[in-house]
Amino acid sequence: MPDWKQVVRERMGQTHLPADTQEDVIAELALHLEEFSDHARASGLTASAATALALQEVQNWSALSAQISRARSEEKTMNHRTKSLWIPALASTLGASLTQATMQWMGVRPHLVWTGPVAMSFYWPWLATLPVFGALGAYLSRRAGGPVRSRLLACLAPVLWLFVLTLLTEPIELASRGFSHLPYYCYGMTNWVVIPGMLLLLGALPFLRESLQQHETAK
Amino acid sequence: MTKRIRSQIARGSGELAILSLLAEQPLYGFEIAKQIDERTGGALKFTLASLYPLLYEMEKRGWVEGRWQANQAGRDRRYYRLTATGRKQLAPLKQEWRSFFQALDSLAGVSHA
Repeated sequence: MPDWKQVVRERMGQTHLPADTQEDVIAELALHLEEFSDHARASGLTASAATALALQEVQNWSALSAQISRARSEEKTMNHRTKSLWIPALASTLGASLTQATMQWMGVRPHLVWTGPVAMSFYWPWLATLPVFGALGAYLSRRAGGPVRSRLLACLAPVLWLFVLTLLTEPIELASRGFSHLPYYCYGMTNWVVIPGMLLLLGALPFLRESLQQHETAK
Repeated sequence: MTKRIRSQIARGSGELAILSLLAEQPLYGFEIAKQIDERTGGALKFTLASLYPLLYEMEKRGWVEGRWQANQAGRDRRYYRLTATGRKQLAPLKQEWRSFFQALDSLAGVSHA
C-alpha cells in the first residue's frame, strides 16, 4: 500500500497555503484515498488495482491544487484573479512598454524591412527582450496559482492590448480608406502583434510546460 | 416571482446534496461521497477532485464547519457539520431546485418522461 500522504504531497506540489493548512489538506485527502482504496479492495479488487482506481479520483492534480488553494485561502476570488492575472499582465505590459520607450529615448532606430510598398519596422534589441517579459508574466501568474489560461494571457498581455485596440479601430480605417488599407493592416498585425507575441510565448514556455508535466505525472 | 435559476447546475446540485446530508448528521469527506453515490443510485457521483474544493468553498462561506475527530475505530477523520448559516441556505436552495424542475417540466415535460 502506498504512503498516501507522500503521494498527495508530491502530486499537489506547492499550494501557496500556510504550512499547517497545507498539511491539514494533505492529511485529509490522503485519508480519503486510503479509505477509497480499502473500500475497493473490500469489494474484491487486488491491491494494485485498488490503488490505480483510487488515483483516478484526480485527473489533474495541478488544477485541484489551485482550486484548493483558492478555497482554503482567506482571500476573496477577486483578489486571486488580481494576483494571478491582472498584476502579472500589468508587469509584462509595463516591462515591455517601458523598455521600448527607453530604447527609443536612447536613440535606437528601427530596422526597416520593405515588403513592396509597406515597411515593417523591427526594433531588434527590444524584440530580443520580449521573451523575458513573457516569462515574467507567466511566472508571476504561476506563482500566484494561476491556471495555464491566465499564464498565457499574462505573458501575451503586451500585445493583446494592441490587438484589441486594432480590432476596434480597424473597421473605422477600412470604412474611411477602403479595402486598399487591408495589406497595411495585415503587415501591422504581423509586425506588432504576431512576431512579438511569438517571442513573448517563447519566454513563457517553461512556465506553461510544468503544468502539463504535473498533469502527466498525475495520470 | 420565480427566483433566477442558477447556471452552475452541477455545482448547485452538489451544494444541495451536501447540505441535505449534513443536515441529518456530521460526516467526513469519503462518507459524504459514498452516501451521495448510494442514495442517488449512482446518479450523482463525487470524486475527490470534485468534492473537496466544494467542501472547502462551503466552509469558507460558513455553511459547514470541518473538525478533526476520532471515529469509533479510533481513526482521525475531518468531520463536517452544518452551521446555522448553512441550515438557512438549505430551504432557499431546495426552492431554487424545485423552480428549476418545474421550469423544465413546463418546457419539456420531464417529469412525465
